[in-house]
Amino acid sequence: MATLKEILTRRPVAATIRLTVPAGAARPAPPVGPALGQYRLNLMAFCKDFNARTQKYKPDTPMAVTITAFKDNTFEFTVKSPSVTWYLKKVAGIESGSGRPGHVVASTLSLKHIYEIAKVKQSDPYCQYMPLESICKSIIGTANSMGIKVVKELD
Amino acid sequence: MSMSLRHFFKHFPYTLSRYLTHPPYQYAAPLSLLSTLSFRNYEPTNHSTPSPLFTKKFSISSSVYTSLDTPSSPAYLSVRIRCQKHLIDDFSEALLCFGASSTSVDEEDGCESSDEIFIDSIFPESEDVDTCISCAVDSIGLKEIPSYEVKIGDQYNWIQKTQESFHPVKVTEGLWIVPEWRTPPMIKKSHEDTSTCTHISESSTFASSLQDGEATNIILNPGLAFGTGEHPTTMLCLLLLQGLIKGGELFLDYGTGSGILAIAAIKFGAALSVGVDIDPQAITSASHNAAVNNIGPDKLKLVLVPDNTRPPSKDEREDGLKNDHNSYQTGAIAEIDKYDVVIANILLNPLLELADDIVSHAKPGAVVGISGILSEQLSHIIDRYSTLLEGISVSQMDDWACVSGTKTNPADS
Repeated sequence: MATLKEILTRRPVAATIRLTVPAGAARPAPPVGPALGQYRLNLMAFCKDFNARTQKYKPDTPMAVTITAFKDNTFEFTVKSPSVTWYLKKVAGIESGSGRPGHVVASTLSLKHIYEIAKVKQSDPYCQYMPLESICKSIIGTANSMGIKVVKELD
Repeated sequence: MSMSLRHFFKHFPYTLSRYLTHPPYQYAAPLSLLSTLSFRNYEPTNHSTPSPLFTKKFSISSSVYTSLDTPSSPAYLSVRIRCQKHLIDDFSEALLCFGASSTSVDEEDGCESSDEIFIDSIFPESEDVDTCISCAVDSIGLKEIPSYEVKIGDQYNWIQKTQESFHPVKVTEGLWIVPEWRTPPMIKKSHEDTSTCTHISESSTFASSLQDGEATNIILNPGLAFGTGEHPTTMLCLLLLQGLIKGGELFLDYGTGSGILAIAAIKFGAALSVGVDIDPQAITSASHNAAVNNIGPDKLKLVLVPDNTRPPSKDEREDGLKNDHNSYQTGAIAEIDKYDVVIANILLNPLLELADDIVSHAKPGAVVGISGILSEQLSHIIDRYSTLLEGISVSQMDDWACVSGTKTNPADS
């Protein structure tokens, strides 16, 4: 809920840009360069800012960034943790989901793994107020769509 | 799958089906067709190795990059897709999952009331755009593939646009950072001369700097290296440097980027500046900037050091060999216990890992400055450096911080 002051001083938005950038490795080259350069944004400031804020993640984890570019060439951005599918693939140790989810099982994970992923995801801005159980359920749903089976305990 | 794709081809206004055989569509004028044709005949077998023909292409043009060895940034594909407004978020996310490098959506001005909007997406050159878009469309449950057009992205366009946003920056009284392609603020005694600098918004503070007499202007072309002078960390470091350099010092710029701190030190009166960096692009930019500011190799040395935190990639080793013609470069790694002032403006993780190395280059009792850290990361830095430095003081600007201290004498510990 935006306050009245925020609404009055809200700058006109020029564009919304979505990007995937490896943590700590933003450079002015493509993909960052052309995407932001189009709107005359200060590339270096973004790279430095992004790299500084993603220092706590493992290097080269692909982070999803959403940048709001304003018409006066300033910008704001939010960094989200990597996608659930990326985490699942990493934890299961597979390169890609199964070709036929529901029929072919690509890998198996235990509830403990799901719980760990859910904890990381909870620090995401839009997940913060969701109970952990709901986050787990949505992760299990994603896992099913990728052909990853979730069991209570792994032997 | 490919059968169903066939009847979607009629949606394209035009396609670049095999971009290897057609010359690329360039919408910025400067490039001559000859150079682009010669580029296109070169079969890129491995997209990750730098293409030598790229540097030739840039040298023919008349843009600002003529004197710089530009990086071999790979070409990219720019795709413009129609989409319905309520599907934008899902579709953008899906595109990113299936291989797009980025998606951007322009805000409607409100005068267009149509339901559809364009998504501009950028793909790496090697990506199969058709498959990616059809997978994305499938995953969000859309029945048919929307119309889209594919263009080869133009390197120049975005580089030039970012350069345009670079204006002269006032760091403090009497110190300006000016882009190479803009006129530096004319310092004359008469106040009527502010008309030449109307593009600077702070004309009132500028008028007061006129009374200072000569202001130090650092002319800069950052290229693709970090350090335009606008960032709070650069400003903090420059202010620190201004207070420290009295004349005749030896200065080490650890992580030099565009060379701005090394150049500033010389302008303030240091005897010798040495800049080190792991990025060959930074060394190139810094040597160019030194030349533009008329600083010779005797006053400013640049060293390309290997990145000790990662295993060297094939590209870095090759580039290291190419840079030997650079007169500013010396092979000697910066020596230990030599420098009166050391400043490292990089990032938290390298600062923590390389703490010992950074401080080792300073003389005992010399000042070491650390920046490139967010205020929230301050405690980590202070913890790490408290054993190496004494008299630690912190300066902050916006969200960024700069830590400085003097190196402990070995006799004291």
